[in-house]
Amino acid sequence: MSHPESSDFAVALRDSSPVLFGYLPLGMAFGVLFQSLGYHWLFAPLAGIVIYAGSAQFMAVGLLAAGVSYAEALIATLLLNSRHIFYGLSVLDRYPKRGVLRWYLIFGLTDETYSLVTAKTPERQDSGRYYFYLTALNQCYWVAGCALGSSLQSMVEFDSRGFEFALVALFLVLLIEQIRAMNERWLLMIAVMSSVIAYGLVPNQFLLVAIGMCLLVLFWRWSRVSSHG
Amino acid sequence: MDNQYVLMIFGVMAFATFVTRAFPFIAFSRSHDHPMLGYFGRYLPPMIMVVLVCFGLTGLEIETGGRLANATLAFAAVTIVQLVGRNTLVSILVGTGLYVFGIQGLDL
Repeated sequence: MSHPESSDFAVALRDSSPVLFGYLPLGMAFGVLFQSLGYHWLFAPLAGIVIYAGSAQFMAVGLLAAGVSYAEALIATLLLNSRHIFYGLSVLDRYPKRGVLRWYLIFGLTDETYSLVTAKTPERQDSGRYYFYLTALNQCYWVAGCALGSSLQSMVEFDSRGFEFALVALFLVLLIEQIRAMNERWLLMIAVMSSVIAYGLVPNQFLLVAIGMCLLVLFWRWSRVSSHG
Repeated sequence: MDNQYVLMIFGVMAFATFVTRAFPFIAFSRSHDHPMLGYFGRYLPPMIMVVLVCFGLTGLEIETGGRLANATLAFAAVTIVQLVGRNTLVSILVGTGLYVFGIQGLDL
């Protein structure tokens, strides 16, 4: 980038724009669904602000409707989000080592933000400000979607069918860019096989099991590579 | 209604979500220069991206031949447009536009 100082925000805005198209309709879908519980519409954007996890928030609607205990909500959320444990492994050395900023970036490490952060080219690495804008913009899109969905539910008939493809497209594009810079591409076939197996065996814990299998293979591979010098 | 119950559930879920995201940063804070983490940082993201693509595909509810064709077309369009143009936003807009048109316009 030729003008790194002034353009951290501009670059983050451009990089995050695909997430806008995924998060707005998805957040709206959550808002609409949440309103079916009959609470004040402000609760939906509040969930986007404090929880900020798509799948967990959708699950929250079911938990609230069922009237579960706090302990059940805790365990269900830990299990649902346990894939995030693996995400931090690959951004450890990119994020600032200390400070409030570090903890906000960790708080906001969603699937989509993780994808954008790990897809970033080296010249933007270590730019805490860039990562902050990226994370904050993504959360803004999400909270805006939640608020729109819950507040306008009765007024606007927005047909969001099909927009879920935007996130598939985002992951696919980022994957293509990562493949360009990758050797050992056979690992990608391992990831495909892990996905197929996980989907066949435990569709309810698809992400956790598939990523867990990838991690096992990667660990085995690393121990072989490192023992040969 | 029982607003306090909602707020408590939100609080518990916010805590649990943050714990899962913060865990590796706390657990590995003293060993962030370990060579294994560098290896994982390099090869884990593309593998997770493959898994996320597969996960997204399972969420599309592909139940009919028409939907399968629609998803395949949109998937191929994203791939080709990205390989040729290398513009993330354009690739996503083209693919999503095609897919939404198939679902809503053609009522697949």
